[in-house]
Amino acid sequence: MAQVRLSQVRKMYGATMAVHGVDLVIEDGELVVFLGPSGCGKSTTLRMIAGLEAISSGSVEIGTRDVTKLEPKDRNIAMVFQNYALYPHKTIRENLAFGLRMRKMSAPEINQRVNSAAEMLGLTPLLGRKPGQLSGGQMQRVALGRALVREPEVFLLDEPLSNLDAKLRVKMREEIARLQKKVGTSMVYVTHDQVEAMTLADRIVIMQSGHVQQVGAPLEVYDRPANLFVAGFIGSPEMNLIDGRAEGGKFRFNDLSLSLPQGVRADGTPLTFGIRPEHITIGDGPNSQIFRVGVVEQLGAQTLCVGDVGGCQVRVMMDRTDTVSSGTEMTVSFPPQRIHIFAAETGERLGDHTGSEEAEPPRTSKRALETSEEETR
Amino acid sequence: MSSKATFMSFLVIGLLITLTLIAAPVTYAITLSFYSLDSFVGDPEWVGLGNYAKVLASSEFWNALKNGLIYAFATIFLQVVLGIGMALVLNQVFFGRNVVRGLSILPYLLPTVVMVLVFKWMVDGSIGVITAGVEWLGLPPIYWFESPLAAMLSVIMVSVWLWTPFVTTAFLAAMQTVPGSLYEAAKVDGTNAVQRFFHITLPMLKPVLTVIILLRAVWMFNKFDVIWLLTGGGPVGSTEHLAILAYTTAFSQFDIGAGAAIATISFLILSLAVFIYFFFFPLDAE
Repeated sequence: MAQVRLSQVRKMYGATMAVHGVDLVIEDGELVVFLGPSGCGKSTTLRMIAGLEAISSGSVEIGTRDVTKLEPKDRNIAMVFQNYALYPHKTIRENLAFGLRMRKMSAPEINQRVNSAAEMLGLTPLLGRKPGQLSGGQMQRVALGRALVREPEVFLLDEPLSNLDAKLRVKMREEIARLQKKVGTSMVYVTHDQVEAMTLADRIVIMQSGHVQQVGAPLEVYDRPANLFVAGFIGSPEMNLIDGRAEGGKFRFNDLSLSLPQGVRADGTPLTFGIRPEHITIGDGPNSQIFRVGVVEQLGAQTLCVGDVGGCQVRVMMDRTDTVSSGTEMTVSFPPQRIHIFAAETGERLGDHTGSEEAEPPRTSKRALETSEEETR
Repeated sequence: MSSKATFMSFLVIGLLITLTLIAAPVTYAITLSFYSLDSFVGDPEWVGLGNYAKVLASSEFWNALKNGLIYAFATIFLQVVLGIGMALVLNQVFFGRNVVRGLSILPYLLPTVVMVLVFKWMVDGSIGVITAGVEWLGLPPIYWFESPLAAMLSVIMVSVWLWTPFVTTAFLAAMQTVPGSLYEAAKVDGTNAVQRFFHITLPMLKPVLTVIILLRAVWMFNKFDVIWLLTGGGPVGSTEHLAILAYTTAFSQFDIGAGAAIATISFLILSLAVFIYFFFFPLDAE
């Protein structure tokens, strides 16, 4: 078990920079999720920690060792691959034991570790089979087991669940969370699925185009997205984002006029106003507006309405309502503590107001990771 | 035309070609082995297994079988080992790799007779580059086709030179099908390059390797042109194997029945070998 420390880690492919100076400390025992769309550099960063991808500049430390120049085998990490990468010609037992055998561990110790990992993952009856005879979920378990038996300092998981069907994914997600808590080893987990990130992570690292956009606990990221990208990426359905400008302490766009949260003083500047569909309330309240329903999507427990407020398209998530239909008009309000304001030009969040339910003051940022500004040019 | 008719027409055409070009000559050759005849125009005389008894009793036959096995095993072993080695090198990323890959198959593309002539010039007593090299090293001159050992080495060397590219190309192509993540998993598992070769590459390519070795074995056992062009089976039968013996018996000594008998025995040996091979290395393993 160990802390993982990335300092100014960069990846260049020729003249193209794929990862721009990442600084991050993963605490001992912490589960950190790298989240972002395809090509954002999250897998590349993970592979640089693993040693499968050369680090163009910067350094990676695991525990007290600088591993920047070390081979993967000397980093004391274990990795789970998206396609599992099980050795097809070896039995499950041999697959699990291989990494230990290569490290010249004694046979009784290997057996003991393999058996206990197999027990923990319910693989015992499968030990004599080959990977080709297993289902996707079982192969996933073997891949996890192969990492587990190694008892490494860090687990690295590269989109481990994306080849599974939705139901199995939820089950394996819970299993991974349970295992990680049980063994208490630091874990870096890469995914493009925000639900996985929200449910698993102690902290989420949100990346885009090789830049870290925000680092924070799942609810912190949800409540206080640092910029427009994070605001749009986290949360489903997506946050409503309306471009307008500040005038006399109000946000204005078309016929819309909404009071800005305290602390945002940006008269005349272009702003982006954001509010999550689930945070718009039905009925009178602050910032009341008329909402004209266009499309109704019934999701079961909830009803999602897409419609129009003052000439802007807005999504409103409400408790299940069977009576709304296209053309229904209702009063909705935008609670100020739920409003996010971003500078339209830079996309940065403005003001210290929080979007959280308790409207509490912002916590001191335990952000350990930021993109280095001068390197992003 | 219905699909069944299409199917049948293709089948019939294929069968006719096979019958005309393969089944008929083979049957004819096997039939000949039971007759005594000294030309194709005279009346053949039925001798039953007489030709076989005569051939199996001759020392030339056993000598040729021994030479054939030495030649086949040596060339297959060297081709496979060198071929895999070259494939591993060509699989690395280096500047000009595609050019080198292209060049590596060149010996296989050239006609055998050209390659044999090139080799003969290289070892020529007055102009050969290898002769000059041997002289430069201060070694006594090697008489490539005069001593039995050197002659065998010559035919093995030229054969390996000619057909190693086949193994290299086939193995290289097969290596592209091994998922890269397996190597990455093995790297994380603590392997070095040699261990990755024996634990990943070789087992993953076992089916391909099985076929490569089988094909090479069949071809090398029946290989005629290289030996015929280089040494003609000499000196004093030291490079003569069953295919050469069958040919000289039938067409130089005009003992066509005995020649056919040698060819038939050769065919039976090879069939048996292939059968045993598949018993030990089944293609549909697992």
